[in-house]
Amino acid sequence: MEYIVIGAIVLLVVFAIAQYNRLIRLNITVDEAFAQIEVQLKRRADLIPNLVETVKGYAQHERSTFDAVVAARAKSTSASTVADVAAADGALTSALRGLLAVAEAYPDLKASSNFLSLQEELSTTENKVSFSRQFYNDNVRSLNTAVKTIPTSFFVGLAKVGAREFYEVENPEDRNVPNVKF
Amino acid sequence: MAENNFRTLQSANKGKTYFLLASMGLLTWLVAYAALTYFGAGTASTIVPLAVGFALIGVWGSYYGSDKLVLTMTGAKLIQREDAPELFNVIEEVVIASGLPMPKVAIVEDTAPNAFATGRNPEHALIAFTTRMLEVMDRDELQGVIAHELSHVANRDTLVSAVAATTAGAIAILSDFLTRMMFFGGGRDRNRGGNGNPLALVFSLVILILAPLAALLLKSAISRKREALADATAVSFTRNPAGLRKALEVLAADTTVVRQKSNAVAHIWIESPLDSTSVSKLFSTHPPIQERIAALRAMESLGPSAGN
Repeated sequence: MEYIVIGAIVLLVVFAIAQYNRLIRLNITVDEAFAQIEVQLKRRADLIPNLVETVKGYAQHERSTFDAVVAARAKSTSASTVADVAAADGALTSALRGLLAVAEAYPDLKASSNFLSLQEELSTTENKVSFSRQFYNDNVRSLNTAVKTIPTSFFVGLAKVGAREFYEVENPEDRNVPNVKF
Repeated sequence: MAENNFRTLQSANKGKTYFLLASMGLLTWLVAYAALTYFGAGTASTIVPLAVGFALIGVWGSYYGSDKLVLTMTGAKLIQREDAPELFNVIEEVVIASGLPMPKVAIVEDTAPNAFATGRNPEHALIAFTTRMLEVMDRDELQGVIAHELSHVANRDTLVSAVAATTAGAIAILSDFLTRMMFFGGGRDRNRGGNGNPLALVFSLVILILAPLAALLLKSAISRKREALADATAVSFTRNPAGLRKALEVLAADTTVVRQKSNAVAHIWIESPLDSTSVSKLFSTHPPIQERIAALRAMESLGPSAGN
């Protein structure tokens, strides 16, 4: 009889440790995923001065576009909470889209090798930023599911782990519902 | 949320792999049982571990050193970032999406577009592309192909195929041994093992003869399921089924095949390097490419936000 009781207790302890560790592991993965987003955002911010200079060389008159990019970049480097970083990221993404749209109008610029290599760097960085967001959100989803579902939910207090915030990019263009008129 | 197509497909394909691997186990057990009934405990207890041992030694070496071995077998050359910065950019993107460590990258000089992944674990992964592959694929297609290859890494397919190859190998060696012994009449302990039941004897004889064929079919079926799984996992990485679908269409339209047609490494390429006419569907290591394209198309119809 004692053996059964001892066995049950041992099993229970092993089970509890597994659940606790799972929560901690998920939480660390979310931290790492967020750090990855910041690495990629930093990379993109570092590319911008060079890109702006290159475009300026061919298209001096597009002041407002340059200013928008520079302002969005400044904001993005000072953000720290998930929501702030995401908002600044979204603003910079659309400002950059505007800059690349401007470049379309200057054939000489588009043909320059400097611009072409910058464009490749920028598009791969954009992809990396969006994949790191996706990876972060997937991990937040796993963590939040674990936090809210049994049996891991019993150990939330013990592990001091809670539901985390999704990384949602405020993209004005995505929010605008197309206006249909008849 | 969990109803997304690629997630359902992923778990379905994983389930089928477990079922197939379990069937492999069952088959091995059947063969061991047949050896036991036909030859008796004395012979079977030496020969079964021997066959499994041989198969293990043969396969384990190639599994453990898979990243290096495949380099020599396919003539692939490792490259660095400076050799192909754009390719590395795209690989890094998918690496971030998958959360895997950066694999080694290699190039195979070949006029057929193809790619493969190998390595015993994600830390020792290697992905390789033929030179032609890099010429014919645009960025999105290449991203799909890389995602498919990294999915093999994430799903530990080198391990899965090593397990499948070990069991199939052990069964082949075993039945080879035993059928030979049958003809020479040696080793059979008549007083202990072969007593009585003639039905059991006939049954074990049939098993011994058919088992290698069944093992081969199971091995191919496992390989096909892993390919389908890798397609689904690739979509979970890129959330862009169209990229991989277009890449497969390019591969389907291309009639050149990789020059080295060695059966030994056929299963690792993204598109089967063997002519589809020369290999029957049941023995094929890959699902028909049109089937894979149709599955990806079905995922596309769910819309770009399917993953979020």
